[in-house]
Amino acid sequence: MIIGIRTNTPRRCAPPLLLEGISRSVVRRCAFLKSPLARGVPEGRGVLVLALLLLAARLCAADLPTLWAERAKCVVAVEYITVTEVARQPTSAMGTVIDANGTIILPTGAIDPRTATWQLKEFKVYLPGEADSTPGVYLGQDAYTGWHFVRADEKIRAKLAPVTKFVAKGKSRAPALAEFVWGLGLRNKDEDFGPYLLQSNVGLIQSLPQRTGVAQQEVAAPGLPVFDRDGVFMGLALAGFGQSYLQVSRSSGRPSAVVLYNVEESAAFLLADEVLPYLGRIPKNVSGRPLAWLGAYGLEPMDREVAKFLNLKTRAGAVVSEVLEGSPAEQAGLKARDIILALDGKPLPELKPDRVVVSYIERETQRRMPGDAFAMTVLRGTERLELKATLGEEPKLPREAERKYFDRLGLTVRELVYADAIERRVKANERTGIIVHYVKPSSPVAIAGLRFDDWIREIDGVEAKTFADAVAKLAEIEKDDKRPEFVMLASRGSESAVLRVKLK
Amino acid sequence: MSRGFNQLLDAVVRIDVREIAFEAGTRRYTASIGSGVILSDDGIVLTNAHVASPRAVDLNITLSNLERVGARLVGWDHWTDLAVLRIDMAEVQRRGFKLQPAAFGESRELYPGQVVYAVGTPHGLTRTVTRGIVSNNNRYFEDTRGVGGYETGAFNTWLQTDAAINPGNSGGPLVTEDGEVIGISSRGYMGANNLGFAIPSATAKDVMERLVRDGTIVRSYVGIVPGALQDLENFYSLAANTGLLIQSVDSGSPAARAGLRSGDIVLTIEGAKVDGRFPEQLPPIQNLIASQPVGASLRFSVKRGGETRDFSVVTEKLESRVGEEWALEKWGLSVRKVSRTYARENQLDDTTGVLVIGVQSGFPADVAGLTRGDIITKLNQQPITSLEVIKDAHRAYEAKPAPTLLETQRNRRVSLYILKP
Repeated sequence: MIIGIRTNTPRRCAPPLLLEGISRSVVRRCAFLKSPLARGVPEGRGVLVLALLLLAARLCAADLPTLWAERAKCVVAVEYITVTEVARQPTSAMGTVIDANGTIILPTGAIDPRTATWQLKEFKVYLPGEADSTPGVYLGQDAYTGWHFVRADEKIRAKLAPVTKFVAKGKSRAPALAEFVWGLGLRNKDEDFGPYLLQSNVGLIQSLPQRTGVAQQEVAAPGLPVFDRDGVFMGLALAGFGQSYLQVSRSSGRPSAVVLYNVEESAAFLLADEVLPYLGRIPKNVSGRPLAWLGAYGLEPMDREVAKFLNLKTRAGAVVSEVLEGSPAEQAGLKARDIILALDGKPLPELKPDRVVVSYIERETQRRMPGDAFAMTVLRGTERLELKATLGEEPKLPREAERKYFDRLGLTVRELVYADAIERRVKANERTGIIVHYVKPSSPVAIAGLRFDDWIREIDGVEAKTFADAVAKLAEIEKDDKRPEFVMLASRGSESAVLRVKLK
Repeated sequence: MSRGFNQLLDAVVRIDVREIAFEAGTRRYTASIGSGVILSDDGIVLTNAHVASPRAVDLNITLSNLERVGARLVGWDHWTDLAVLRIDMAEVQRRGFKLQPAAFGESRELYPGQVVYAVGTPHGLTRTVTRGIVSNNNRYFEDTRGVGGYETGAFNTWLQTDAAINPGNSGGPLVTEDGEVIGISSRGYMGANNLGFAIPSATAKDVMERLVRDGTIVRSYVGIVPGALQDLENFYSLAANTGLLIQSVDSGSPAARAGLRSGDIVLTIEGAKVDGRFPEQLPPIQNLIASQPVGASLRFSVKRGGETRDFSVVTEKLESRVGEEWALEKWGLSVRKVSRTYARENQLDDTTGVLVIGVQSGFPADVAGLTRGDIITKLNQQPITSLEVIKDAHRAYEAKPAPTLLETQRNRRVSLYILKP
């Protein structure tokens, strides 16, 4: 059914349904035939070879320019505006079309996680190489994959081709080592997001914990698909991995080590099997909720040496640094310094580097829903324990907190949420005050020394018990243009200070 | 110059110090030069705490006759940046030298503009005299890491002078035209011209006498960080020249336990009125608290909002944030005991553990992955309650190397490491 859609492909010589299998074997034959020809073959056989070659060429028909033209339709550029207190910041990202409804996925890094969803405005979808855009709708972020989902306007859906049109029939295939792969990059907005070709060969395949291919060079822009020689979808490009370089000054001095990231193109891609099963995770609402929550804070990987020392049969584990107050982990009886060894009775996989085991556990949590069971086998001292947690709903995140901007005073305050209390080691019953979300440069509060992320405890000697109280107090001060000054008690780290804000 | 000034020159000495440092996962020795002044004929020399500290393993004093004699540390006080040495008098007598002590003048009587001289060994240039005036006789200056990583300046104000003070002048006397010691040159502003600071003789004399008598200075601590009220009195509706603003309260400290909070205004301590309007008024108030006996219950009368309340705060012994240091050389690991202050500042549950202050490349600690800033809390699952615990384990390892399990904490994250032979 996938291949049946390919009506306008020039590969008409092969029966559509079998095309994938055939063309691959033909490619192999093509390669085999090439070498004796180059070496010079006897005349008589040469004719036969030539005839075969012509046939092969017709069957192969999968010439890159043709594949390219089709597949360029499954990529788009998405531009949106982030509205802040004082500015409108345009950002553009690249995305892949995943279905016939014009749904587009953008990579995790396309949107700053601290941004509240209401700050995201005016999504626009650009076809590669076209100057005009059509509006798009932001659908939210999926916690498990990290993808942001955007839906393109009906008007341009006909011009789009979902990437699923190019997937292998049946089980997807992982690329072989050294196999040729290619993909697309898009130029910047001033060049109408013009598409261009990137190609390379697979150099390495690793579990991080997802199966990830790493090509020898950049093979696609982050968020865009990667194909094999026949144009079959092989995976989705990730954010570029850093590469170490030595920077040497022309004038003098020792070389210094730097890590460079290519933000426009990437050599790493998630294999198709890590992408295709999750394309249906379109958020039900823009907040991305429900979000599963365990509440084991600061997981740190256990290395093999430690496992050996502790006489453990399995070599992978993660140390729990803290168990958060009121969390499902606490209710299940998890304790700080427990070592998680298995989930649902399955030992944690041994992955390299060690750090990856932490992402494995996090993903196992995010894959589930609040209310789902989460069984852990942990080591406490020398004792092995089976703990059964029921995942809860993630407490309100900073980006979801209520906010209020005061232009004359020069600050945005936001509600203190669970994560703020954890960060500041505040117990649930001591959770008062508000957090400074933004300080306008050279404003009265900036001059008084207030900074981003400060914790305001009192305003004019009155405790800021709730967000509403504090906002009412600040609004009253903001409105009163006769008032010469006011005072705030703010904490930063383990210190507090009384700040005087001069209004005149 | 006056006769007194010439006599003073004979009392100024050069001090050569060899110090032990534990930073890089091993023991290393460093050498430095400072100045000092002889203040008694039985060989008491006053200098800076950042010149001679308990880390000093070798102290040599060059007298005005250019002869060198040995000396030992009597005591130090990093809070006021002062240290007292005693010259090896047996050696002085054996070699037939005579010490020429200087005398203190009265720093409280100094006035801005008064001519003063700094004498010392800037950059190793022995017996250098520079001249200037008292630029300010009551300068507030506090630094939480000012004396080799130790705190300084909370309990005294400083004399500011434009007499040139360079590295090596440290510990040398600041004197009047008559050669009376009115300060101990201590520090300068880096990158500024002629902004030098000296500890006033009033402080120096008191600290010296107590160090000679007790070898150490015990202060009381309650855990409030005062801030200058400046012109906040109106906001707090206070009478003129009253009150001390509590800028911050150390978490877990006696003041925090007693219920004092940031933003409170202290009106009296043990019935004595306090006035902390300007920064330079803060050290005397801090001193008032510090001079109470350890364990004493102090009554703080505090204004909070509209009401005034009394709080009873039981003092603790003041401790530095810098704990005792050691190098565990087989592991290539330098550690510092977690102090009470460090634990509170970093929101640790208690003082269990040692802080990693250095690792040596290629040694077991480095191979295992430990880095500076880790706090080692347990060794083979036993909590490290004192430096001795880890020293003993290291000794056992030296005798019979075996894999050792460490539990560390860093930014509230717990990790496990194995030290392998």
